[in-house]
Order: sequence, then C-alpha cells, then structure tokens
Amino acid sequence: MKSEESLSVSDDSIARLLCDDNHVEEAVRLIMKKYGEPLYWHIRRMVVAHDDAEDALQETMINVYKYRSTYSNEFPLSSWLYKIATNESLKILKNKAGFTLSVDDLGDSLKDSVREEASPDADETLILLQEAIALLPAKQKMVFNLRYYDDKSYEEIHQIVGDSVNTLKTNYHYAVQKIKDYITEHQL
Amino acid sequence: MKEFDLESMSREMPFKMPEHFMDDMTERVVSQIGKQKKRHNERKIYALFAATASVAAVAVLLLHPFGGRLDIPDYENISQCASIDEVFQTMSADDLGVYSMMSNYYGD
Repeated sequence: MKSEESLSVSDDSIARLLCDDNHVEEAVRLIMKKYGEPLYWHIRRMVVAHDDAEDALQETMINVYKYRSTYSNEFPLSSWLYKIATNESLKILKNKAGFTLSVDDLGDSLKDSVREEASPDADETLILLQEAIALLPAKQKMVFNLRYYDDKSYEEIHQIVGDSVNTLKTNYHYAVQKIKDYITEHQL
Repeated sequence: MKEFDLESMSREMPFKMPEHFMDDMTERVVSQIGKQKKRHNERKIYALFAATASVAAVAVLLLHPFGGRLDIPDYENISQCASIDEVFQTMSADDLGVYSMMSNYYGD
C-alpha cells in the first residue's frame, strides 16, 4: 500500500484491523506508515541516542500487538500509541539510570549525547535547544515535546501523560522558561 | 541580554534518522509479530491437546473403575486363608529355630 493511502486510513479502521487476528500485521504496517516517524521522533527527543530510540520504537510496536485488546476507542489511537512510546522511552532511561540514580539525574549525560548524535551540519541553535530539553526533568520534557513538536492539545497530553491539565500547563511553562534561559545564556 | 524567542525557532531536529530505517523497522516488527503469533497458536494447540487428553483419561477411569483387573483381596472369604498352624506345619526345622530365637528375643 502506498504511504499516501496509508495516511488517509482512519484510526478507527486501523483499530478494527488491530483487533482482528487475521489482519494484525496489516494494522501494524499502517500504524508504522502513519505514526512510525512521529513516534520515532517523540522517543528520540526523550532518549536522544538513535540506538535507544530504535529499541524503544520496536518495543512500542511489539507492545501495541501484545496489548491490543486493552485499547479502548474512548481515546484516540494516537494518544494510546504515544502513551506506549512514552512508557518505553522512560523504561530505557530508567535502565540507564540504574538503581542509584533517577531518570531526572540523567540530564548531563543526555545533554552530552545531543552533541555526539547531532549531524555535522546541524544548526548550533537547534543543538542548544536539544541540550536545553535534555536537561529538563522527564515530566517537563514530555509535556514540552508533545506540545511544541507534536502540537498536541493539553487534553491529548493529559491522555498520554496522565496529569491534570493545570499541572501540564505549569510543567510546560517551567520548561519554556528553563529552555529560554539556557539558550540565552549559551548563545554566541 | 536579549531573550530567546522559542516560537520563531524551526521545529527541525539536529539529528538524522538513518535511511530506510522505517521500512526496516516495519519488516522487523511484522516478522517478530508473526513469530509471536505462531508461538501463541502452538501453545493454543498444545493446551487443547492437553485438555482433550485429560478429559479422555478421566472418562476412561470413570467408565471402567479398575475393570476387575486389580487383585483386591476378597475379605468376605478370608476364612479360606491358611491358618497359622498350617503355616507352622510347612516351616522347615531351621525356620522354626529362627522363629523360636526371634520370639525369645522380642517376646511373643
């Protein structure tokens, strides 16, 4: 199936195929065509390294298959997918943090990874922005990325992250302030 | 110091995704799902076989209770058993000697 056609397939149709054992592979292909890239970049912005993003995306899709019976069409399919991807990203970060550190302690090492992972021709301001995001606590990072890059509404972010809309707004506000401060301070 | 304007920034990422990554990932995921489906189906067949075998075994036991083939003593005809005196009569002198020695040691 061509990617343009895949993108036009409704989430309801994908969800129906996903629950049908005979069409589950087709559903997974459609999900990858429609949401694969946004999910990859959502994960990559959280974990920074491509190899980690690859592992997390693969686990996300396997979990989509494993837990497809738990999907309820009360929520948009995309929110369910982002929720699984977010959990997988956090799992990768928790593994990196080990027993002694928390996910929020990984800021400096993630910031260093940004420079290692950046393309040689990448714009310096874009690298600074990613460094600033890498230094944010996990919750603020999730909220900022979902709002800023994925254009999600607070209601959708609530479905993905679970916090109240007011808490999410506060998280976004703090994230923006920290990012602005970091870039203003480090910009040449 | 001039404050940085976040909204004017490009949403581009400074990272790159390897070429053909999405296609490769799709194939890998679909292949893994295929394997999991196969394993799941095999487990289902095994569970069905085990359940059928269990039901068959229980049915055999219920329909043919021992089938009269086990040597269960017939206690109603216990009087047909040899008496103690008859047993003593068949014992050799050596056996009687050993019996007598054991009786003295342990008491009757």
